[in-house]
Amino acid sequence: MTKKNNILKQAAAYPHMVWAVLFIIAPLLFVAYYAFTDKNGKFTFANIASLAQAAYLEVFLRSICFAFLATVICLIIAYPVSYFISRTSPQAQKILVMLVMLPQWLNFLIRTYSWMAILEDTGIINSILGIFGWELHMINTPAAVILGMVYNFLPYMIIPIHSAMTKIDPRVLEASSDLGCNPLRVVTKVVFPLSLSGVISGITMVFVPSISTFYISQKLGGGNFDLIGDSIERQFQTQYNYNMGAAMSFVLMILIIVSMAIMNKYSDDEGGVIV
Amino acid sequence: MTKKKNIGRTLCIILTFIFLYMPIGVLILFSFNSGDSTAVFQGISLRWYKELFTDAATLNALKNTLVLAILSSVISTIIGTAAAYGISKMRNKYVKSATMSATQIPMINPEIVTGISMMLLFVFVANIVRSSSLLGFWTVLIAHITFNLPYVILLVLPKFKEMDKSLPEAALDLGCTPFQSFFKVELPAIMPGIVAGFIMAFTLSIDDFVISYFTTGSGFETLPIRIYSMTKKRVTPDMYALSTLIFITILVLLLISNFASGKNKIELSKKAKNAVKFTGIGVFGTIATVTLIILCISAATEVKTVNVYNWGEYISDGGDDSLDVNKEFEKWAEEQYREKYDKKVKVQVNYTTYASNEDLYAKIANGAGGYDVIVPSDYMLEKMYSEGLLQPLDTEKIPNLIYLGDQFENMFVYEHTVKDENGAEMKENQTYGIAYTYGVVGIVYNSAELLENAPEILEYIEKEEAGWEVMFGIPKRDENGNFVYDENGKMILDMDDPDNKKFNEAYLKLKGQILQFNNPRDAFGSAMYYLGIDVNNPSEEDWRAVYGLLALQKDYVQGYVMDEIYNKMEKGESWIAAYYAGDCLSMMGENTDLDFYYPKDQNGDYTTNIFADAMCIPSTADESNLELAHWYINFMMEPEIAYANAEYIYYGCPYNYLPTDENGDSILDEETLEANKEAIDNYRINMGYYEYLFDKNGEILTDSDGSYILEYDENGNRIVDPEGDYFVIYNADFENSLLSMFEKFAYKDLTNSYVELSNGTKVSNLTMLNDKWETLKIESTSMVGIYIICLVIALGVVAFFVYTFIKKRRQRRFYWASTTPSKQPQKKQELPDFSETAVIAIEKAKKRDK
Repeated sequence: MTKKNNILKQAAAYPHMVWAVLFIIAPLLFVAYYAFTDKNGKFTFANIASLAQAAYLEVFLRSICFAFLATVICLIIAYPVSYFISRTSPQAQKILVMLVMLPQWLNFLIRTYSWMAILEDTGIINSILGIFGWELHMINTPAAVILGMVYNFLPYMIIPIHSAMTKIDPRVLEASSDLGCNPLRVVTKVVFPLSLSGVISGITMVFVPSISTFYISQKLGGGNFDLIGDSIERQFQTQYNYNMGAAMSFVLMILIIVSMAIMNKYSDDEGGVIV
Repeated sequence: MTKKKNIGRTLCIILTFIFLYMPIGVLILFSFNSGDSTAVFQGISLRWYKELFTDAATLNALKNTLVLAILSSVISTIIGTAAAYGISKMRNKYVKSATMSATQIPMINPEIVTGISMMLLFVFVANIVRSSSLLGFWTVLIAHITFNLPYVILLVLPKFKEMDKSLPEAALDLGCTPFQSFFKVELPAIMPGIVAGFIMAFTLSIDDFVISYFTTGSGFETLPIRIYSMTKKRVTPDMYALSTLIFITILVLLLISNFASGKNKIELSKKAKNAVKFTGIGVFGTIATVTLIILCISAATEVKTVNVYNWGEYISDGGDDSLDVNKEFEKWAEEQYREKYDKKVKVQVNYTTYASNEDLYAKIANGAGGYDVIVPSDYMLEKMYSEGLLQPLDTEKIPNLIYLGDQFENMFVYEHTVKDENGAEMKENQTYGIAYTYGVVGIVYNSAELLENAPEILEYIEKEEAGWEVMFGIPKRDENGNFVYDENGKMILDMDDPDNKKFNEAYLKLKGQILQFNNPRDAFGSAMYYLGIDVNNPSEEDWRAVYGLLALQKDYVQGYVMDEIYNKMEKGESWIAAYYAGDCLSMMGENTDLDFYYPKDQNGDYTTNIFADAMCIPSTADESNLELAHWYINFMMEPEIAYANAEYIYYGCPYNYLPTDENGDSILDEETLEANKEAIDNYRINMGYYEYLFDKNGEILTDSDGSYILEYDENGNRIVDPEGDYFVIYNADFENSLLSMFEKFAYKDLTNSYVELSNGTKVSNLTMLNDKWETLKIESTSMVGIYIICLVIALGVVAFFVYTFIKKRRQRRFYWASTTPSKQPQKKQELPDFSETAVIAIEKAKKRDK
């Protein structure tokens, strides 16, 4: 292959690179600009500094914890499910995967709304429990918010893990069990390392939207405990304090980039594929 | 594998699917509800499906969503596939990793940051090119492509990597052109990745709300945005009906495609492929032809579009056999053009919606212009006027202004600076807004639940002297009458005074059953009305007090809500809430246990918010649309139209269809009076309806459907039905009392009203309000339990990694010691590498076998 030819082929990526500079990099510069200026456009650290107050630290901590728990729960549910799905026939797999994605095609605001009807004290679960004389308060609790996150983002955990698993040749599994692995060891020693790239991208795709969500906490949390997404949304939509909102976004962005970088360091060893 | 295991496996999958589909089941169930509610099931009907197909705005939003999803996913698939191809060919490591990092940013960036950053960029560009209508379809499309791209690239790229490098080389050797080699050899190999990328992009685009919400502008509304803007009013079940239809359509398509591909592949493949090809060509051909025809038609007739931006669910839209006001206007305006200019013009109302005054302001102040008519509330109108965002209305173009109620006449008249012929500046008063609706905030409560759980409170309310204390409790004061605060600035319930103690003990029974507004103006407003503070001019001490009161209340509220209030009150999930009177009436229609009162102060006078929303024209409105915008405003005041709206919205109608001069004589001629007869009656009902809310003196006559019956006795007085739900006796004094209420209780713009702090600085009351609200909202009890759980899990994960790491090293050491003594740098993770090699070996073997 000639070098010229190769450069020509590389050129296929140029439209995307231009696009990325215009619509990914440039907008982020605006965020940074607003985060470090005051209302009059003067450089300042005040916005970032004011985030150091206890209440905001608590909001950040809360968001991280909620998102973390949601991610862990998603992983615990999604891993066996994707494994089992990947062990069915290709026909069934196709249907099951589509069925996992199908709820995502319905509006997420509406789906969250229906959860309210399920979780409320007068809701569906409690009316069923009521037959046995039990009662379980769920709505407006942290658990309800985490449940909302798990529900909304679970498919984004199942799909990448499943797609990583389908790439595993069944003969590798057969070989390992032939070589004396018990089924548990097959999963931990062979399946898990080979599906790690899927797990990593699943974690990204659940953790990131969970940490920044604002609708779920408003509806299922009753607006009683704010997450960082709520605060950002409020700064932009009701307080018109773009500088403060940008500062929060900036910190959130750094936070996520750092945690992703740490995680990718692990995944780099496994090939570093995100999806 | 054993059968037992299979059962466990199936059970696991089934449970997950139950979890995933539970809310969808609920949604489908309520789409068949015959009532208005999405919480109380009243009976099976297809009503909402019928309504869905008459709801032009929703169908339009659906169309927008689909067009956007298709376009953005197609474009991002093309750019993304090309990019993946280019990236896979890149040799320079740094360029490659830089490109990859930039690509991943929208994925790892929170949606809200992506949305906001793009909004900032678009607004910046819009300011440079001085285009007020930049934000809209194109900006949303760009945003969607941007966040779709990384998913496409990251799904396609591995396919290029997995592809055997020798394949395209072989193709070239065998005489293919590079072009042919790409389309015949490489493309089929990466096709699964492309398809997966496309589906992912389509799904993300259809589901996206946050990014579209921030990047859209006038006249472009997607389905998620439309649903979100129903946030002040209820989310109607026709949205559920729509979701059900989408769900079933996709399910059927899925089954069909699966059934088709399930057939014997080899035999059918060619036929099927051809069939698919022809269908594809057919579909594209049809779309192209239809577009062409539409383009031709639209080129032939002039199209005039008026962009109206209004609250969600704030106009009679043709649902429930009501009048479709926007359609009526289109017809009327087309007629006007024919009569006045002898021109054939197609008029379109581009009607989009927002959820709050603050959302509206954010859009307009951002320069997202292109709106011709907007409907802000009183205080927001004032703010927009003072920032030059509105233009004065040409009252001569609004002849229906004679109907505007006296008390609303001067409400939105402000100074406007004009230049006379000599260039000297002159100030004159101009009308900036015309009232569209008005309403009052009241307290709605569930009498059945209160009777059962807190009868003292119900008794207290029924004495008809109740005020806001039912929402807040009675805070403690010291012997000087000053409020007592705890160390966090929170007030304390009074348990010393025996009377107050008795009340507060009853109040405590409401814990977790109270709903408070989820917006700063109304939440702080309610506390101010309670404490008798002027809502537009509080002092520093006042701010401290209202914050302390709301912080106190925070421990007892169930939640801070807007639209959810409908469901929660209707099904008895919450017992008491403050909300807008019209909406309370709408809730009372769904649950007969609900009742309603206006809070009074200690002297027995009403103390609550009254508001008016008014139609305005923003200063960025297109000049060529001004006439049409005025026509629109005028049309909204037509008796028939205004009544249709009032009946739909349940808010007060600010128009008087019996206008009189100073002597009390009617200024309308006989003919108009005759024509307005029905509207006049309706107007009286509407007025009385509000009066009812103040004094329960009687009932409005209603028939079994809940429509009003007009009957008069021989003296011309309306007959009062003691069995009915509402009453009406029109009372002229009522208008005057309204006016004084507006003066006393309506919110005003706080931007330029200042509060002097004890340290001598002056702070805008708006800043004060926002800061206090922010503090109230972010303050919450630490969730120590959750933090500990997180910590434990995190530690567990770290421990696991450390353990496996140490174990591996030990194994390796053992391995090295026994086999290879050389100090070669060891590859980490032997197993995956080994297995990957194995996979590749097997792949190759497979190919060889073929």
